[in-house]
Amino acid sequence: MANTQTKSLSQAEANLRRQRIISLVLRYTVLIVVGVIMLYPLVWMVGATFKNNNEIFTSMNPIPFNPTLDGYKAAMENYGGAINIWKAMLNTYSYVIPEVIFTIISSVLTAYGFGRFKFKGHDLLFSAMMAMLFLPQVVLNVPQYIMFNNFGWIGSRLYLPLVVPTLFATETYFIFMLIQFLRNVPKDLEEAASIDGCNVMQTLIQIIVPMLMPAIVSCALFKFMWSSNDFMGPLLYVNTPAKYPATIFVKLSMDSDAGFNWNKILALSLISILPSIIVFFAAQNQFVEGISAGGVKG
Amino acid sequence: MKKKVLAVLMTSVMAASVLVGCGGSAAPAAEAPAAEAAEEAPAEEEAPAEEAAEEPAAEVAAPAGDVDYEPCTIKFDWWGGDSRHEATQKAVEAFEAKYPGIEVEVNFGAWTDWETARALEYQAGNGSDVTQIGSNWIPDYDGDGKTFIDLNTVSDVLDLTQFNASDLEKCLDPVGQQAGVPISMTGRIFYWNKTTFDKAGIDYPKTIDELIEAGKTFQEVLGDEYYPLELGEYDRALFMSFYMQAKKGEPIILEDGTLNVTEEELADGLAFIQSLEDNHVIPTIATLAGDGNVTLNENPKFIDGRYAGVFEWDSAPLKYTSNIAEGQELVVGEELDFGEAVKGSSAKVSMAFAICASSQHPHEAAMLIQYLLNDPEGIMIMASERGVPASKIGFDTLNDAGQIDPLIAAAHEGVYAADPMFFSPRFDNGELKGDGAAYIDVFSGLSYGDYTVEDAASILFDAYSNVCE
Repeated sequence: MANTQTKSLSQAEANLRRQRIISLVLRYTVLIVVGVIMLYPLVWMVGATFKNNNEIFTSMNPIPFNPTLDGYKAAMENYGGAINIWKAMLNTYSYVIPEVIFTIISSVLTAYGFGRFKFKGHDLLFSAMMAMLFLPQVVLNVPQYIMFNNFGWIGSRLYLPLVVPTLFATETYFIFMLIQFLRNVPKDLEEAASIDGCNVMQTLIQIIVPMLMPAIVSCALFKFMWSSNDFMGPLLYVNTPAKYPATIFVKLSMDSDAGFNWNKILALSLISILPSIIVFFAAQNQFVEGISAGGVKG
Repeated sequence: MKKKVLAVLMTSVMAASVLVGCGGSAAPAAEAPAAEAAEEAPAEEEAPAEEAAEEPAAEVAAPAGDVDYEPCTIKFDWWGGDSRHEATQKAVEAFEAKYPGIEVEVNFGAWTDWETARALEYQAGNGSDVTQIGSNWIPDYDGDGKTFIDLNTVSDVLDLTQFNASDLEKCLDPVGQQAGVPISMTGRIFYWNKTTFDKAGIDYPKTIDELIEAGKTFQEVLGDEYYPLELGEYDRALFMSFYMQAKKGEPIILEDGTLNVTEEELADGLAFIQSLEDNHVIPTIATLAGDGNVTLNENPKFIDGRYAGVFEWDSAPLKYTSNIAEGQELVVGEELDFGEAVKGSSAKVSMAFAICASSQHPHEAAMLIQYLLNDPEGIMIMASERGVPASKIGFDTLNDAGQIDPLIAAAHEGVYAADPMFFSPRFDNGELKGDGAAYIDVFSGLSYGDYTVEDAASILFDAYSNVCE
């Protein structure tokens, strides 16, 4: 009696284990298949940096048939010493980093103002700001260009037309996101802080900012990606080769009249996205937390 | 205490961030100190900047060359690809060496959005001294003649006699000033994949009848995948204009900008294009879309020879020959004979140089243009990076030195052999040529069967009427 019971017990255990293995295999198969499909274009891109044009357009195989390093060699071109990819990347980050920092500071301040204070015209200003969310950048190009031209900022070595606007909380989407996040920060904390003698700014810096950290990191990452990928802004406001950022540099040789070697463009793209990828992975946990928290609670 | 520490920390982080911002840009700035002086002076401070630039004047005792000039800094911009950037930069350096004291600041990039950026500069009165323009830029941005200067005012240094009068005429602005000087002229011609035609057992077509015959032969001998010619929407519009011009004996848009075509003639032209599709001469737009969103030189079916013909600018065959699969041979054809008195082909200014009216140094800017287009030294450095030179001395110098690619030279000859008609820049107007504009709408609509020939003719006629006088 006791024997049969253990037997059936171990049988049940074996069944369970088998089920577990099957589900594990199934889950991993699905994950691997989907993963391969998702990653394939990236892998192909890496492979294509070693191919010539002819092979790039005719072969789906990510492994190059006649591997060549020409793309990377050409990528090191320096246009008569005026600019090379490393300098271009340095140029990019010399305005992207200030842009990110200024955007975060100005957006947090604005969000704090709208989220925590009632003042005259609050609702009107808030809706005006939200309306800006729907204003495409294209319509601003001409008036902004004329304005910056009057300031004498075109071709500025400090990238003033790109950096200065970020001081004025121009990224409406971030303000909106931060306000949503702020709603879930209990006011009790701030009241406690004010009882302890914090003034408004101290409350912001010591209480609100740490609570908002996941959202702030998300905003910073978004801004980092958008600024690094911006093409039109630098094209309009930068007019010396030595100051070209990576987005312009990568495109320099893309001449539709004469044709060009895609392997060079792909090699340049690969090199220039590496920092963005590294930054993203470094901040991944906070980023995902910020997005999902904002989504669920907002 | 803790608060204080935090405050200090915050301040230092802020300070550091500001420093990062400066540091990144300070380094490259230091590497180009010469350019900085002029660059940093904003518009209002024009006067002191000029003074600063004029200072070396005393030091340069006798300027080289045979023209007087004052040392200054001029700006020069162009679009293009790697080899053009490289050649032009070299030419600029040689120019600076020949005329010490003139410094040229360059700005170059790819075609994408280049026109938008330059258009904004022209509008803001901020354009470069010497600027490379497309053929339709003069009517588009210099309608009142106030964007670019009249080059006749600088003809003492810029030798305009090196250019055909008819080519120069194409660069007049609407008020009759010489707004630009043509760098190169270009027209469309056919390139045939000889290997595929050999496989089909026929010679490449020289008349429209032979082309239609080739369509049938290709289908019978090689199969449905093979077409003797490929035409996208814009190619169709152009080829149709050749057809209509051959029938009429006149350009479809006259030099004064009047439209010289009726709705019935357009309908006839559209029916002709449609007949090419029906006769298996060209693939349908749907077939082309199915090949992926690629330009023809990147289309696998062209690369391996299934599309055996291209209708392309005489200056642009190299992007096809560099991509085509090994063992395939691309040859230049002739403008097709429609069986009329004229072939109906046309040629246009592919690009030109202009001097912005805002330029403080038009004299020196004209010297730069003269050097690039008419000085044998500059001509040899620039080679055929901007197409076959329109300047006589430019063409002779390069041709004698064997510097013009044989395929391009043959194509250019082919275009001129057919006695090309006037090609109006209005034909390339954004309302007609742009994404989602008339050509794409009409020719894809017709090909997909969304429009009848009559509908398409009426839409196209309205679009043409809008951009013409």
